[in-house]
Amino acid sequence: MSYVAIKGGKAAIDGAAATTDYLRCKGSLNEPLTLAMIEEQLRLLTSRVVSEGGLYHPRLAALALKQFQGDTLEAAFALRAYRSTKPRLLETPVQDTANMRCIRRISSAFKEVPGGQYLGATYDYALRLLQLDLANEDPEAFKAVAQSFLQDTPDSEVPDNFPKVIDALRAEGLLPPVAPSRAAAFDITRDPLVFPVPRSAALATMARAETGGLLAMAYSNMRGYGDVHPTVAELRVGYLPVMLPHPVTGELMEAGEVLVTECEVVAMYEGTNGDELPTFTLGYGACFGHNEVKAISMAILDRALQKGMQDGPTNPSEDPEFVLLHVDGVDSMGFASHYKMPHYVTFQSDMDRLRTTQQKIKEQDTEETA
Amino acid sequence: MNVARNEWAAALCALPASEVKHLANVLSGELEVRDVALPHAGLGLLNLRDGAFEESYFIGEIPVARAEVIVRTAGGIEERGGALIVDDRAQFARSIAILDAVMAGKLPGSVPAMTLVQRGMEVRQQKQIERKKLLTATRVDFSLLGQEDDEDEQ
Repeated sequence: MSYVAIKGGKAAIDGAAATTDYLRCKGSLNEPLTLAMIEEQLRLLTSRVVSEGGLYHPRLAALALKQFQGDTLEAAFALRAYRSTKPRLLETPVQDTANMRCIRRISSAFKEVPGGQYLGATYDYALRLLQLDLANEDPEAFKAVAQSFLQDTPDSEVPDNFPKVIDALRAEGLLPPVAPSRAAAFDITRDPLVFPVPRSAALATMARAETGGLLAMAYSNMRGYGDVHPTVAELRVGYLPVMLPHPVTGELMEAGEVLVTECEVVAMYEGTNGDELPTFTLGYGACFGHNEVKAISMAILDRALQKGMQDGPTNPSEDPEFVLLHVDGVDSMGFASHYKMPHYVTFQSDMDRLRTTQQKIKEQDTEETA
Repeated sequence: MNVARNEWAAALCALPASEVKHLANVLSGELEVRDVALPHAGLGLLNLRDGAFEESYFIGEIPVARAEVIVRTAGGIEERGGALIVDDRAQFARSIAILDAVMAGKLPGSVPAMTLVQRGMEVRQQKQIERKKLLTATRVDFSLLGQEDDEDEQ
């Protein structure tokens, strides 16, 4: 592939930037979007960008969404570009999501789970009907929604943290034993994926994958190009305290918190060749922000990839190379978008070859006719 | 309210940065503050333990700011303070580090600093109460569904 240097486009490129900004600012409103509006009222959109950008910075994600006018791929790209300008100061100690301050916690495996199930904020049981009164929302009524929710909902003794649902299954011997790897986690921001890759590389890649891309891969498995057949043991959304060592005392302290969605799926059990009893298999997914479809898709793919790595892939979603190299939004968007750039040299070459081929065929036809 | 040192930073982060910086600036005028290292901001790679097999992996990056200072009183008493926070404002981290030193050494200014910390703890507590309301309002017991069905059938 080759490109041609071009000139003469600077004014047009500057004009394109001005035009883009014009479209952002024109219209009947004089008020620009505030970052708080985007971050708070379009929280799920912001969540997509923090996870796909791979950087938990909701305010900058909101800025990127504003700048790129709602394009999540471009916004994630901008967030990654930003992160590439910043020094890496540390790797955190391993954080335990059992410490998560949940705002939602459900299980589709059990009617009741230790600690209880809480729907939290969800559209799962909502009718997908347009709420037309939001079209002209009264600011006072808008404020009253939040106030009345807090006033009308009683305080209760909800625990700060919840046990993991799969711990109970594991205690019963229905899950494979934990054999944590002592290998350091793979850093996808520093090292390229050279297959086979460790599971930590797969998890990291999927954690910042594009939601739609990940869903498409997982959906292929759900529909029949695979046989994970998952049951959601637990889906939780909440704020994970980030514990870092105090610079003076070295004692772990809470340095902040990040919103995380996490999902564990239990999948079809596997028989064993030896004396061991069969157990369910497991898949795991998690990402920054509130993005349940992504976490579930990742968990399904984690299980599918484990199977592919163990037995060899029999479906695309079980092939680590196929999945991990095609789910990144910035990579794939970049490749698709690059086709818009000038390809004059390659296309001239294509045309020359086609004309020559046509000419040769015409000459052969002429010779055969003669 | 007695707040442990490992909770001070989180409490101060819950407050508007301007309030924390203001008190740190006031105390800096009365005490000698030396940077052990220049305050800096950057990124941290967040290491999580996966819930299925307890293997560690990196879910992504977080902004982090770090500062470490030594605060010295006119009488020559020194105390070291530090801050490492999930934030991208190095000067905010430095302000917290100053208050950390002042409170750790019970230096002049530790009372208003601790008052700030206590206010921050209240903000955090209030936030947690609000979050728990999200759970309280949506507690579900699906085991009742079978009984409900039975009633419907009657």
